[in-house]
Amino acid sequence: MEAIDSSAELELYTIPAQSSWFLWDDIHEIERREFEEFFSESSINRTPKVYKEYRDFIINKFREDTSRRLTFTSIRKFLVGDVNLLQKVFLFLDRWGLINFSPSLNDNDTLSSVDNAKIEQGTPAGIRVTATPNSLRPITAPPLVEQRTVSGVKLPPLTSYSDVFTDLKKPDDVLLCGHCGQRCDSAFYQHNKSIINICEKCFKNGNYGGENNAADDFKLVGDSAAAVWTEEETLLLLESVLKHGDDWELIAQSVSTKTRLDCISKLIELPFGECLMGSTSGRLSSAVPTDDEDTEQVKTDGQEHEETETREENEDGPPAKRKRVALISDSDSSLMKQVATMASKVGPSVATAAAKAAIAALCDEASCPKEIFDTGDYTDSTVDRADGDKDTDMEEQKEEKDEPQGLPVALRIRASVATALGAAAAQAKILADQEEREMEDLAATVIDQQLKKVQSKLKFLDQLELIMDAEEEVIEGGKETILQERISVLQCAFRSGVTKRWDHTYVK
Amino acid sequence: MKALGSSGWKGPVKFRMPTAENLVPIRLDIQSEGQRYKDAFTWNPSDPDNEVVVFAKRTVKDLKLPSAFITQIAQSIQSQLSDFRAYEGQDMYTGEKIIPIKLDLRVNHTLIKDQFLWDLNNFESDPEEFARTLCKDLGVEDPEVGPAVAFAIREQLYEIATQSVASAKESRLSKKSRRGSDHGSASKASGLSMDLVKLFSFKSSVVRKRKDLDVYEPVVDLLTSEEVDALEAREERHAR
Repeated sequence: MEAIDSSAELELYTIPAQSSWFLWDDIHEIERREFEEFFSESSINRTPKVYKEYRDFIINKFREDTSRRLTFTSIRKFLVGDVNLLQKVFLFLDRWGLINFSPSLNDNDTLSSVDNAKIEQGTPAGIRVTATPNSLRPITAPPLVEQRTVSGVKLPPLTSYSDVFTDLKKPDDVLLCGHCGQRCDSAFYQHNKSIINICEKCFKNGNYGGENNAADDFKLVGDSAAAVWTEEETLLLLESVLKHGDDWELIAQSVSTKTRLDCISKLIELPFGECLMGSTSGRLSSAVPTDDEDTEQVKTDGQEHEETETREENEDGPPAKRKRVALISDSDSSLMKQVATMASKVGPSVATAAAKAAIAALCDEASCPKEIFDTGDYTDSTVDRADGDKDTDMEEQKEEKDEPQGLPVALRIRASVATALGAAAAQAKILADQEEREMEDLAATVIDQQLKKVQSKLKFLDQLELIMDAEEEVIEGGKETILQERISVLQCAFRSGVTKRWDHTYVK
Repeated sequence: MKALGSSGWKGPVKFRMPTAENLVPIRLDIQSEGQRYKDAFTWNPSDPDNEVVVFAKRTVKDLKLPSAFITQIAQSIQSQLSDFRAYEGQDMYTGEKIIPIKLDLRVNHTLIKDQFLWDLNNFESDPEEFARTLCKDLGVEDPEVGPAVAFAIREQLYEIATQSVASAKESRLSKKSRRGSDHGSASKASGLSMDLVKLFSFKSSVVRKRKDLDVYEPVVDLLTSEEVDALEAREERHAR
């Protein structure tokens, strides 16, 4: 085999440095140790010759095409012998990098696993298919995290951002209607036999695309109308939650397209949905009239509150843990006051960043000039997105809805609510971190205690051992003395000339 | 000293599954009150016996079968277990037996045909590991295929092991004085083991001949729903 290699071009095969002991002509000590059964001469089917043949064949097979990953099943059919043994040899070579060692192979592994990610009906969890193309909802993080952990020990090489993220973004583009070519927004119908998908609209219109496709050939797949929440629906939901608190029947009525359960689950999904649920049970009536009637007053209130907020925050400093409990329990204060308290719980920089971000997001969505907020005199004219507060960003965007009226006051109110929620988000994060640290502490103490227990047990056992040793010595001593006495008795007997017969009976 | 002449005869071993884990393959096929329950799984014979009833109850509850099944399932498992235990006390000769194991099974939509060699003497063999590698290398996505393959392998190993117990008893009864090479001929007579001397001698190569390659290659087929239905109907007819 070596002759063939050298008569062709001298090809270089890379193997890891720690495998440099490997020689074609010989079987190394490492191999002997690993595969003792081959070298112990205890059986016919395991001899050194057989081992070398297996090994050389597998390596040659791999080297025929080093870019592809050699699998055990593909070579198994070529070799005669116990498959478990063959697998052992294969795994040994794989582990030492003598086969399947090539930089391209790592790529293939992770990319193929990404490709195999089933982009079937509907969208993967964590990605929301949105109704309006110009929505600002980010489509990031969660699915990426899952996929990275799934690829396992083989760390993927440093792929570029676009490599990874374009794959993940595909789900949105895949759902093109087979007939009208538009994106299928919420649900689409899939043909039973072929891969034609048509969107809801086409299905309703009877355009089934292609010849002779009957209505029964299509089945509804993907996110049904119940699972996708448009912005209007989410806005309606939030408003009705604020209005009705815990009364889910009424909420379901106002959000007409969704059932009660859908409303509840959606609200839970939303960040701080549960907060809203808890808090709104108290402030049913106060918020609404404030919004509708005293618009002007609220506007100025809002101004003042924002200013007092910043002043308050400067005095407050970082939040203490216990304050959290009393956060949203006062039910009779107005919306603005609650916003102020919430924002005061976190540090000043966080609250201002949240406010800025909320306003920027609002402006982008509603495309109203930023000067509306400037008249309030409490923000800078140029607003940049706060980078450090991405969480609050996303949450605020989800909370804000595109209302057709676009009154400045309404916007402001929404901005402040969003700020408050963002601030609460930051607060929650800090608390969560604290909890985690406490938990770790407790775990460490528990482990400590256990260790101490184990150590004391060990000490006890040690002492026990010593005692046993002492007893053993004593017994040994006893045995010796007994032996001595027997000998002396026998000696006496002999000396006194006892007869042979008596001797025998005695000894027996 | 090389013991090649006696082809590596080892003393008799106590009966057990010749795999790393001593698990018994259990097959259930119970019909009652118009419902049929078919299942195949591996059981650890060292589990306490009350586990059988617990398992039967849980299965009936999970599959919503009528409760008459509980006793039937438990009985079936118990009888197969006691068969296994009956063999356990006895000796079996394993010797140098490399047998071909054939797979020809259908699991849901996947059809697998395969053949490979298995060394009965290798008490560290692992059918589950083998099945896992097979499914991974062939890209089988259905998670039920792996255990089914492992079960099929185990079943065949179990059968061969019981046969070797029977043949050991036979050879002991008939030929009390002679040992060694006689056993070798007895195992060859079973027709399954390969002619190892020829295969692994100095002259021949361990690489399989081209004409045999197709036989030993695994084949995986994915069936469509109609084909699955057709096959099931045929199996039902055969069963009756």
